[in-house]
Amino acid sequence: MTDISPEMWAKLPADEKATPVPPPAPTYGQEVRRRLWANKPAVVSIVFIVLLVIAAFFGPYLSPHTYYKQDLKLANIPPFFETYAVTDGAGETTRFFLNASNFNLYEVDAEGNMLGLLRGGRKDIIKKSQPYEFGDQTLTLDYSKLPARLVLEDGSEVRPTGWAWNKTYLFGTDQLGRDILVRQLYGAQISLTVAFVATLVNFFIGVFYGGIAGYMGGKVDAVMMRIVEIISTIPLTLYVVLLMVVFDSGLVSIIIAIGSVFWVDMARIVRGQILGLKSQDYVAAARTMGASPARILTRHLLPNSIGPIIVTLTMLIPSAIFIESFMSFIGLGVTPPLASWGSLTSEAVETLRAYPHQLFFPAAAISLTMFAFNFLGDGLRDALDPRLSR
Amino acid sequence: MLTYILNRLGMMLVTLWAIVTLTFFLMHAVPGGPFVSERMLAPEIAAALNAKYGLNLPIWEQYLNYLGRILTFDLGPSFKYPGVSINSMIAAGLPVTLQTGLLAVICVVALGVPLGVIAALNRNRWPDTTVMFIATLGVAIPSYVIATVSIYVFALRLGWVPTFGLDDWRGYFLPVFALSGFWISFVSRLTRSSLLETLDQDYMTTARAKGLRKGQILIKHGLRNSLLPVVTVLGPVVANLITGSFVIEQIFALPGIGRQFVLSITNRDYTAIMGITIFYAAVLMLMILIVDLLYVWLDPRIKLTKATA
Repeated sequence: MTDISPEMWAKLPADEKATPVPPPAPTYGQEVRRRLWANKPAVVSIVFIVLLVIAAFFGPYLSPHTYYKQDLKLANIPPFFETYAVTDGAGETTRFFLNASNFNLYEVDAEGNMLGLLRGGRKDIIKKSQPYEFGDQTLTLDYSKLPARLVLEDGSEVRPTGWAWNKTYLFGTDQLGRDILVRQLYGAQISLTVAFVATLVNFFIGVFYGGIAGYMGGKVDAVMMRIVEIISTIPLTLYVVLLMVVFDSGLVSIIIAIGSVFWVDMARIVRGQILGLKSQDYVAAARTMGASPARILTRHLLPNSIGPIIVTLTMLIPSAIFIESFMSFIGLGVTPPLASWGSLTSEAVETLRAYPHQLFFPAAAISLTMFAFNFLGDGLRDALDPRLSR
Repeated sequence: MLTYILNRLGMMLVTLWAIVTLTFFLMHAVPGGPFVSERMLAPEIAAALNAKYGLNLPIWEQYLNYLGRILTFDLGPSFKYPGVSINSMIAAGLPVTLQTGLLAVICVVALGVPLGVIAALNRNRWPDTTVMFIATLGVAIPSYVIATVSIYVFALRLGWVPTFGLDDWRGYFLPVFALSGFWISFVSRLTRSSLLETLDQDYMTTARAKGLRKGQILIKHGLRNSLLPVVTVLGPVVANLITGSFVIEQIFALPGIGRQFVLSITNRDYTAIMGITIFYAAVLMLMILIVDLLYVWLDPRIKLTKATA
């Protein structure tokens, strides 16, 4: 101990490295985060969901339009159109576009802002034509043969000058002249609210129910799980339908209906986890030290089964969004004029033949959101529990 | 085997009773009676109607009557369409729903399984990525979106199929496609992952080492062992095809039970809602029982008695 030979104190050569101290092993949380960030689709999904939430809850305030204001004169406006321009004798140019499905002309400016419906002369029902006056020029809209043509007095046809985006109504308007973009954002708000709140309700009921069943075991467990089995014999959607019939449609009742049914999956998962964990030594230790069952459950068992719980939670959100839109689609969801993705889709189906663009936005929105939550769920499952990944 | 089936049937009856009770009291919790409408009925007529349908009795007596009728497979009269019984409503809708539903199940098995096998055998090559990409699409897109978009593309734009109805054999394409889309995707994903797992097993190596033909290895050793999870989901598949049919039959205007159900919801025809729910529950439980029996037949290692515990 005392004799340390002098050469031990000698300086090391400059290029010799000391054996590096291994960095502390990453914690579970760090590992999860690393694996999640490495999963590109999941990261993109998180970004998408965050943007969607921001847009849904703040977007409507930025728009000059409201979700309920109707303007029948400007109904069924498309999001982009081919503009025409007519110059009269005084050199005044009027820009407008033709809505090919209802044969109306709408005046627009050069940037694509909507100025209003153009008033035409008397419609000639038999010849299927309508004259429009622009100063000294008369333009005739001839829709006897499709596609409709715009003809000047001298017989020359007016050609479109180019495509333009609708700057006033970015996504166009619906059959009652309401702005589709704002309705879409409100729909997102409602769909997301229903999904998050209902999922939270499911989470609490499911964790509580499954936790008790798993921890108590024996007869209590058998009876509680028999009840779950009876509930899940028929599709959960059917219960939601029945509850909606009883509650009558509305935002709160759809949250209650979804929240009171979909906890059975969560209860099953939690029970399974608890059953596996409760024979662990640390639970026995806690019990020996006199911890109450409630404390063991909330402090020891549930934190250790957090992985599967979170995965189930993220999988519950898309199914809640889906059920809500499904209910709204069959007319059991939110009450008009409120919009949700389901009711927007079903409204769009009514005008599908003439205005297919109205279907595109809600359909794309719900599909993208479902994608995002599915990818996020898959990513979280892989990150939280690598053994489960396929 | 027989005791197992009897056991299960007994359990089914208990479940069915629970569902009947639940729907009965739920439907009676709805404010307003079945004859409340914009046109006020004279009190005498209302009383006569209530007496005719036994609605003047105390609720427990109505409940017992209802239970008694259900035991004789009589779901009672519709409150919205005089003279129409729920049984005849179901009988009218059943063939349509059965046809589309069966075709959808066939599609799920006949397309989902082979697609999954192709994906698994070509792991990480283009057939796999293509199938998995489509399957990811199919799992995320709601059925009503598939239905409406495919109506627009195939019926309105291309004009290959009619937009609604089943008068033409081509009319079946879109409803069946929309109904089964999700489950084809789901089953192909499941088959792929399950087959990949099986392909790694030692007995597969043994079979190859014995010099068995490739097809034989795949079918006898690989597929048979990896199809068990697929069979397990077939029960839920049937269940979800039934609920899926609410929307699909609505969109395609098919006169099936799903459409009847949605119609009776919008009409607030409470006896019809109750009757169809109970009918659904009974059919589903029967289906799940059949799937469980099929399961045992496929894999004799599974003990029936364990399944009840």
